[in-house]
Amino acid sequence: MSAVGATGNGSGNTGSMPGLAAVTLPRGRRGAELLMLAFSIGLVLFAYASAGLGLNGHVPTGLATYGLLFAALMIAAHLAIRRLAPWADPLLLPLAALLNGLGLVMIYRLQESGRNGNPGNVISTMSASTTTFQLAWSAIGVIAFVAVLVVVREPRSLQRYTYTLGALGLVLVALPALLPSSISEVPGTGAKIQIALGGFSIQPEEFAKLALAVFFAGYLVAKRDVLALAGRHVLGIALPRARDMGPVLIAWGASLLVLVFESDIGTSALFFGLFLIMLYVATQRTSWLLIGALLFVVGAYTASRLFSHVAVRFSVWLHPFKFVNVFCGSPSVHVPCVPSYQLAQGLYGLGFGGILGTGLGHGQPYLTPLVQSDFIITAFGEELGLTGLMALLLIYGLIVQRGLRAAVAVRDPFSKLLAGGLAFVVALQVFVIVGGVTQLIPLTGITTPFLSQGGSSLVASWMLIAVLMRISDTARRPAPQPIQDEGMTQVVRGG
Amino acid sequence: MNHALRRVSLACLAMFLLLLANANYVQGFEAGKLANDPGNGRTFALQYQYQRGSIITSDNQPIAESKHIGGVYSFQRYYPAGPVYAPVTGYDTPYRKTGIEGTEDRLLAGTDPRLAVRNLIDLMTGKPRKGATVQLTINSAAQQAAYKALRASGLPSGAVAIQPSTGAILALVSYPSFNPNKLATLNGNALNKADQKYLNSPQQPLLNRAINDTFPPGSTFKIVTSSTAFSTGKYTPDTPYYAPTNLKLPGTTNQLINYDNLPCGGGGKVPLIYAFTVSCNTVFGGLGMHLGGSALRRQADAFGMNRSLRIPLLVSPSNYPPVSNPDFTAYSAIGQYNDTVTPLQEAMFAAAIANHGTLMHPYLVQKVIAPNLTPLVTTTPSVLSHAVSPNVASQVGRMMASVVSNPVGTAHGIVSQLGGITVAAKTGTAQNGLNNTGLDDAVFTCFAPVGNPEIAVGVVVKGGGLGADASAPVAVQIIKAYMNYLKSSAKR
Repeated sequence: MSAVGATGNGSGNTGSMPGLAAVTLPRGRRGAELLMLAFSIGLVLFAYASAGLGLNGHVPTGLATYGLLFAALMIAAHLAIRRLAPWADPLLLPLAALLNGLGLVMIYRLQESGRNGNPGNVISTMSASTTTFQLAWSAIGVIAFVAVLVVVREPRSLQRYTYTLGALGLVLVALPALLPSSISEVPGTGAKIQIALGGFSIQPEEFAKLALAVFFAGYLVAKRDVLALAGRHVLGIALPRARDMGPVLIAWGASLLVLVFESDIGTSALFFGLFLIMLYVATQRTSWLLIGALLFVVGAYTASRLFSHVAVRFSVWLHPFKFVNVFCGSPSVHVPCVPSYQLAQGLYGLGFGGILGTGLGHGQPYLTPLVQSDFIITAFGEELGLTGLMALLLIYGLIVQRGLRAAVAVRDPFSKLLAGGLAFVVALQVFVIVGGVTQLIPLTGITTPFLSQGGSSLVASWMLIAVLMRISDTARRPAPQPIQDEGMTQVVRGG
Repeated sequence: MNHALRRVSLACLAMFLLLLANANYVQGFEAGKLANDPGNGRTFALQYQYQRGSIITSDNQPIAESKHIGGVYSFQRYYPAGPVYAPVTGYDTPYRKTGIEGTEDRLLAGTDPRLAVRNLIDLMTGKPRKGATVQLTINSAAQQAAYKALRASGLPSGAVAIQPSTGAILALVSYPSFNPNKLATLNGNALNKADQKYLNSPQQPLLNRAINDTFPPGSTFKIVTSSTAFSTGKYTPDTPYYAPTNLKLPGTTNQLINYDNLPCGGGGKVPLIYAFTVSCNTVFGGLGMHLGGSALRRQADAFGMNRSLRIPLLVSPSNYPPVSNPDFTAYSAIGQYNDTVTPLQEAMFAAAIANHGTLMHPYLVQKVIAPNLTPLVTTTPSVLSHAVSPNVASQVGRMMASVVSNPVGTAHGIVSQLGGITVAAKTGTAQNGLNNTGLDDAVFTCFAPVGNPEIAVGVVVKGGGLGADASAPVAVQIIKAYMNYLKSSAKR
């Protein structure tokens, strides 16, 4: 027995080799996380001061209070991770904190436009306390982040609630469609995606995204063998059986219903893309991607023929500058605004920013309607330039990469699928909205994770990061040391 | 599943690369195109955030400047003399820019490539961008006198004064004029109201009558007819020419008559200089028929007619259309039929004669001065055409001098107002309207002083009657103001 134990140690169970522990043991790297977090906080405070200086030449008076609150929140999140997920990826929190902080700075800058003697026009869709509200939402986001880490101690435990969360997700998606427009419609957009009561609104689809990702992961892990193996090969492509097409068709139908009843193209594309990629990862069958892409094209084409608001998106994408006039909406000149006005203004802003940007507070992002939500990335592009925009894209890219890395590293298939799906959905969401406002693809209004004004998106994004960190914690946590070995080694030593 | 996850990560990488490439395209390559798009409100607002350059006269009087008013639109355009210089400066509104404001916009705004290096230096040293100053050839004394005189007439009119030796435009006025300050407002409602008022006014105050409205030249065209005749070498001012009281026109029952049906001389032959001095239509009608329409047209072209000019404002062409019928040729030779001229063209007739037959290209911009006071552009005078030989010029000049100095000359009446300045001129009284029922336009072209010409003036007063009555006094006011200015600046 002693020989077996010794061989076991030598062949790679490094946990019991005290001499090598420092080199090969996966470390929590919480110290690195704290250092990077401090850097993120510093960057955010610097940007906040810079925005104030750019606007009116003074460091904002709220720098100390806002700055301290933000720093305290992020440090609290860090301390929670030390306790709850000590092995989690050290990069995710600093990246999320940086995005959240820069979003707050930009919202402050936009809110101050035209107010308190600052240059620019007042953005009528923002109140003078928008930043305070957004900071409060950030606090709720961090609380939700910690709550997820507390409740979900082991990612696999979520698998038990596959169908519960699936039902919850569907309810959350369907709810705004069933409610009267006065409650669910976002003013001026025609999209029925929120629940607004007494000046307080949430967008349930942001949370539905998380619930559905868990549902897809649980369902697909259970069914992956039959979805992956049954079927025939046609032209070298493994086609699934007709009866296995059910789930795909249901997901497709559900996303089309979202499109039709809620006029929300972006979210419907996001849900369908999420499902498709998770199906592909679960089955490793390319045919699912082809079938899905085909369904998407058919759906998008039919929608563009049947629904004028979808067709308008396409023509706006192709001709954003047609009929756009400087005097749009001006009561004295009587020039109406055209549907492409917002996209064109966003693009003008990006062009105006150029390579290095105007500097925070020096641009005119307030000229773009609803710049604080869907178009916030153009405000960054205008004031921080191509340089700043690329940096933001790289931050998102890093979050996606860390998420996928956790998916590859974790052993349990449910967690693998969930992490892969969540990482992909971040990438897809950034692609859809940033691609939309930069005229790469037709514009569909969805939020920019962490940056856009609005609580639901921010809280859901923090929860998504919490799930990814929980999974990476599981993946990186060293295997528990077999007590038997310990005993045997002592026996050998003693012998 | 890791294999599929790796493929997913490649897909994510591709998506981010697409976003990065597209952001580079939009912000790097398309930025210039976006900035010039007419719907771009950012560049629109930007033009009011920098101090636009001033427009000043040749004697350094500011006639358009940007005043700091604070707020988003930091600078407001201001025209100190309002309507006096409006036909020259034009106006600078959010809708459009006209006049020098329009043609020199990039220099005034500071966006001209010639200012790029200075802008970069200013950026480095933290100085705000400023536009260049445009100095015009306009002389404030001549311009003010011209506007005052036209306003006194109260009739739609235009006047232009040129320095004959260079082509520099000393005065360019139009009446009724407009107040560019009303259009330079940044208040949308006020702008709209002023714009509509000017556009709908029957007086057409926005029309630049000095260069964009044409009138029949009347007898002033006899300068062209005489020049054509002398250039053949067969005629001199002293050549006697058949002067009937009525000139029968071949092929028609029409007869060409003199003003008020007066006889010209004794009914026999008169020297051409006499016919010119008293402005006999029958003499020049007959001479024109003899010379032929194509010869007259060639000479008209040499005086700058039948072409548009840029000074740099766009000048409407003055027309002498091709004529083939002898009777129409007779009419066209005395400045009737389809002949039309701008007041600028009237000034160019006299300027060419005054400058020994060489017509200089008229121009308005003397130089452009960069914000650091170094000259950026200086205009060098250029020849537009050799209208007539120096010999012919001196012959025509002698006849024009006679129009004023000879007691029977049509413009002899102005001598008493001139205060010793010698003037050579030609009057014109152009009939117009259907069957000549409209009020006669008063036309006048002249240069002064006769021996050493400093200024050539063209004036047209619509419905002013006799050229000597309505237009000549305007020219006299301009000449006196400019000669006084020269005298006082020489003393200094």
